Amino acid sequence: MTALLFLLLAPLFSGSVKWLKARLTHRQGASPLLEYRNLAKLLSKAWVRPGLSTPVFLLGPTLALLGALAAALFLPLLPGLSFAGDFLVALYLLNLGRFFQMLAALDTGSAFGAQGSYREGLVTILAEPGTLMALGAAALAGEGLGLAGLPVLGPENALVLLLVLASLAVALLAEGARMPVDDPTTHLELTMVHEAQLLDHGGPLLALYELAASVKMLFYAGLMALLLPGPKVLVFMGVVLAWALALGYLETFGVKLRYLRLPDFLSYNTLFGVLALLGAIWKL
Amino acid sequence: MSEGVMVSALALVGASLVGLRAWGSGGYALLLGLGGATLVQAGGGMWYGDGSAAGVFLHLLGLLTMALASYVPEYLGHHPKEAPVYAFLVPLFLLAMVGVAQAPPGLPFLFFWEGMALLGYLLVALEGPKAQAGARAFFLASRLSGAGLYLAFLGQGHLGPDWIWAGLLVGFGVKAALFPFHLWLPRAHPVAISPVSALLSGAMTKLGLYGLFQAQTWFGPPPVWVGFALVLLGLFGAVYALVRGLAEEDLKGALAYSSVENLGLMLAALGGYFLTGKVLFLGAFFLHQVGHALFKGLLFLGSGALSERQVSRLGGLWHRMPLLGGLVLLGMAVGAGLPPGAVFAAEWLLYQGFLFAPGLLPLGVGALALVGALALYFYVRLFGLAFLGAPRGNVALHLGPGMRFGLLVLAVILVGLSLFPQEFLRPLGQGLYPSWALWVLLALAFGLYRWLDPRPSRSYGTWDCGFQPLTPRMQPNALGFSEPALRLFPFLRLKVGERPELDEPLERVYQGVGEGFGWATRLVQALQSGSLHFYLLLQLLTLVVVMGVVLL
Repeated sequence: MTALLFLLLAPLFSGSVKWLKARLTHRQGASPLLEYRNLAKLLSKAWVRPGLSTPVFLLGPTLALLGALAAALFLPLLPGLSFAGDFLVALYLLNLGRFFQMLAALDTGSAFGAQGSYREGLVTILAEPGTLMALGAAALAGEGLGLAGLPVLGPENALVLLLVLASLAVALLAEGARMPVDDPTTHLELTMVHEAQLLDHGGPLLALYELAASVKMLFYAGLMALLLPGPKVLVFMGVVLAWALALGYLETFGVKLRYLRLPDFLSYNTLFGVLALLGAIWKL
Repeated sequence: MSEGVMVSALALVGASLVGLRAWGSGGYALLLGLGGATLVQAGGGMWYGDGSAAGVFLHLLGLLTMALASYVPEYLGHHPKEAPVYAFLVPLFLLAMVGVAQAPPGLPFLFFWEGMALLGYLLVALEGPKAQAGARAFFLASRLSGAGLYLAFLGQGHLGPDWIWAGLLVGFGVKAALFPFHLWLPRAHPVAISPVSALLSGAMTKLGLYGLFQAQTWFGPPPVWVGFALVLLGLFGAVYALVRGLAEEDLKGALAYSSVENLGLMLAALGGYFLTGKVLFLGAFFLHQVGHALFKGLLFLGSGALSERQVSRLGGLWHRMPLLGGLVLLGMAVGAGLPPGAVFAAEWLLYQGFLFAPGLLPLGVGALALVGALALYFYVRLFGLAFLGAPRGNVALHLGPGMRFGLLVLAVILVGLSLFPQEFLRPLGQGLYPSWALWVLLALAFGLYRWLDPRPSRSYGTWDCGFQPLTPRMQPNALGFSEPALRLFPFLRLKVGERPELDEPLERVYQGVGEGFGWATRLVQALQSGSLHFYLLLQLLTLVVVMGVVLL
């Protein structure tokens, strides 16, 4: 259920961010709904098969989207599947998509694709431990180690959950390949992380990849919504709106970090994760 | 010992005798297959009957043996000169491993243990002059392991549990590549021929784990520090091995480092079990063993088809042999810990074990996540550079029907274990995530793939930025791909340049220990002056001292 909601919402989310960025730079901006038509157009187009490519080239976009959607299935915003340890399966499903996305980038024999591929791997190494520790801390503070039993923010667990929220916010920027980790609008292949992996994917394959990137961001927004008090779906809408605004401002006024400076930024994620876990262990 | 194990032991003896004369015959393959099948049956009976650790080991050994039965005769056809010796020794090596898993503690156990070490050494050393360094490392490690075990077995009843368990930790830890005793493994395993590497990494290392697990029934429960040592060294060793493996240019060498990583996680699971007694850890411990044996066996046997093992000289192998590419991709995806693989199921149990554990143990989750992310990077590098992209050199590929069948056997069993991991965990009474949800995902992925593939497309060259055309040399090489990740870890330094150099401080520590040992032996050597007068003086002094001790 949640997966379907995310699939419907994903184009609107990325469209709104683009619209806001245009307005902030005094351009008129295309309607946020244009993304839907853009996707429909991409899906109906033919795609380009690079001469060297193998079936892995198609598995990349397929599993990137399905992995992200399957991860969304475990979010109990709407009725779905829930069990102890479901957040671990969800994060590893994102990894499943990432594995094939990185391979698909190498599949073309392109130097740029390979660059994007190992940069993506580097971001994962930096971001994953903190995210999993933060989610583990939230699960420990709640009941039954599942997403359905996550606690909501209150005075008794404010410290741990605020740290978890901070860690998830950094993770969203890293996972969604947004500034300051990556620049989604860059025009120079040498600086790309996410886009460099998609250089040779066109038509429906590009559509799947773009959907996957937005669904991943919505997944992290959904995780944050679970930790906030209030009716789940409404809170989720609020979180998504807040993220659209935040991304719009961040990407208009912020700059992308130099690639070698990434560890400085993403180590905050690890720090928040460790602190949150320690807080959960000592029940602060 | 059960009847099934007896039958398989006889079949293995028969196979080794037949192998000496007729290694290429169907009879050899049949006897080896019979030995494997009966081991699978007997081991499975023991595991599903009363959840015995020996059962798990015999089960996985049997599975590997069945794959080898069809793989080995054809593989040895490419090495006709050494073939009879290999065909003779491999079944004996299998027999020694069966013996270790079945022998009672004490001298019979040590007999089979040393026999296994000796046969393993011979199998590595047979590969010729370029394997000598690896074989020597294997031999030294076996001696260290033996020393630890003699301390434990002979000291039983005389020494306290701390000493006994220190001996066991070294004795079995060396075989299971416990950090920092793991250095021998990536030197010795990859230089052997591929079927032997598969047996060493897939099966023999598991006997170290089996020994540590059984030791609690032989020697009583371990002291608390043993559990902590296993968790800390296991997790750190897993991270260390993956980072070091990222700097490895040899395909089989990298696979050996991945074995150290997987064994580190299994050791951490065992340590967690010692500390908390939770079944979650036990489930992770056993499931990971079988999963690792299957996927590592598949990858080592698959790499046996290649004439070139330097990743930087491979590339584009998928086009030449899609079947090999698909099977290796399966093995590497499982090895990277991706759902719904068996290794993922084991790691999932381990994560939960750590989260439920008391004290600071939940911090282990961070180490596990780092291992997961590094393993992703590690296997993308190996598969992407060797099997995808443009070919970078001429590589000969040999994969006949027999070898192909052996690979398929392992792949089918691996898929089965990945789809139904909870069946394997039944004897422990340990539940798992609802794995049907992951099958649905795979079915949907298959459907989406079948929808995309026939959609209109046109073939075109890879995007080259509009400048000069791409050449295969523009793809990153094996070290270039991992250099950004290596920057992050202080225990390894890679100097890039025309000739990249790798600096591993741990290796220097070992060199220092070796030099210190040499210095100490040279001191003792001074006694062996060769002068008769000096020896007579020494004898007199000894006599005086002994008389003094006795009389006073």
